[in-house]
Amino acid sequence: MKTRQPALLSQIVDSRTACTVLLVAMLLGGCAPTSYVVLLPSPDGSVGEVVVRGQKGEQVLTKAGQAGSLDGEAVRVGDQQIKKDFAATMAALPKMPARFLLYFSAGTTLTAESEALIPKIIADASTRPAVDISVIGHTDTMANEPYNNQLALKRASKVSELLSENGLKANSVSIESHGKRNLLVPTPDNTYEPRNRRVEVSVR
Amino acid sequence: MLRIILIIYLILAGHAAADELPIGHVKIVSGEAFITTGGNKIKAEVGSPIHRGSVLQTGKKSAMGVTFKDETVMSFGADTVFTVDEYLYSPVQGNLKFSSKLAKGSLNYVSGVIEKLKPDAVTVSTPSGIIGVRGTQFLLKVDE
Repeated sequence: MKTRQPALLSQIVDSRTACTVLLVAMLLGGCAPTSYVVLLPSPDGSVGEVVVRGQKGEQVLTKAGQAGSLDGEAVRVGDQQIKKDFAATMAALPKMPARFLLYFSAGTTLTAESEALIPKIIADASTRPAVDISVIGHTDTMANEPYNNQLALKRASKVSELLSENGLKANSVSIESHGKRNLLVPTPDNTYEPRNRRVEVSVR
Repeated sequence: MLRIILIIYLILAGHAAADELPIGHVKIVSGEAFITTGGNKIKAEVGSPIHRGSVLQTGKKSAMGVTFKDETVMSFGADTVFTVDEYLYSPVQGNLKFSSKLAKGSLNYVSGVIEKLKPDAVTVSTPSGIIGVRGTQFLLKVDE
């Protein structure tokens, strides 16, 4: 028992020192929590929202740099702390995906401008590790649904063929048809709209 | 009896997930990382597939970056356990949902298309609260 006392005493002193340090840190501008969420701007510069719901309530984060505890309270976390906690995590963030829109003059014939995008898509894809590609075909609202589903699929297949003929190497390529059900420009049925006759290529 | 049925259902659901098309792929690995899908654990490498129900793990001094089909991008720091509970991405049918869980570790999250098409369709659970995401980037640390 006697031999344990000094250890116990030093523990008390240690924890008192820790408390004092913690108190000073809190007075100087907030005590960093061990679990928290912090809002950042999107890569495009816009700032959205994060809502945290927990036992202590609900916290809506709307400003870049704003933080919340995971049980729903507002907290302040300094830039240095964020850097310390997340530098390695942020360094592992993959390159942001790219999205290309290709348009058709008629049927499955690409416009000249869109055909010129094919080498650019391949060049972008070649910069990514194990690149995944989705090729999604769309039509305008002229003609019936079965016809448009087929046409959109033919458009997507055409673009996929052009990409592979020109040397695209990908980890995975998926070809999809959204027919006339996913319009870029909303129109009534049976409306001629060149901006809806398109193929989207998602490069990830 | 009900419990037995439930267990069988869970086993079948686990197997089904591995047969479905991947919902995302690994793009970056440093150190050691693993993906467990339907009870099958593999070492994560660049190009490894992620499925609905997959559990993503990183080891000490390790990190991993992944990109999902809807262009959601995420990275994980050391000692992380992250589960994809539900992932629905069928814009034409309007089936859009992405719910996940960060049990421990750190996450850098960048929004994809699911949230753009359906706000409030994306949630990340933690041991002490639920995070709803509306079109942004955030950092999340769980150390409890």
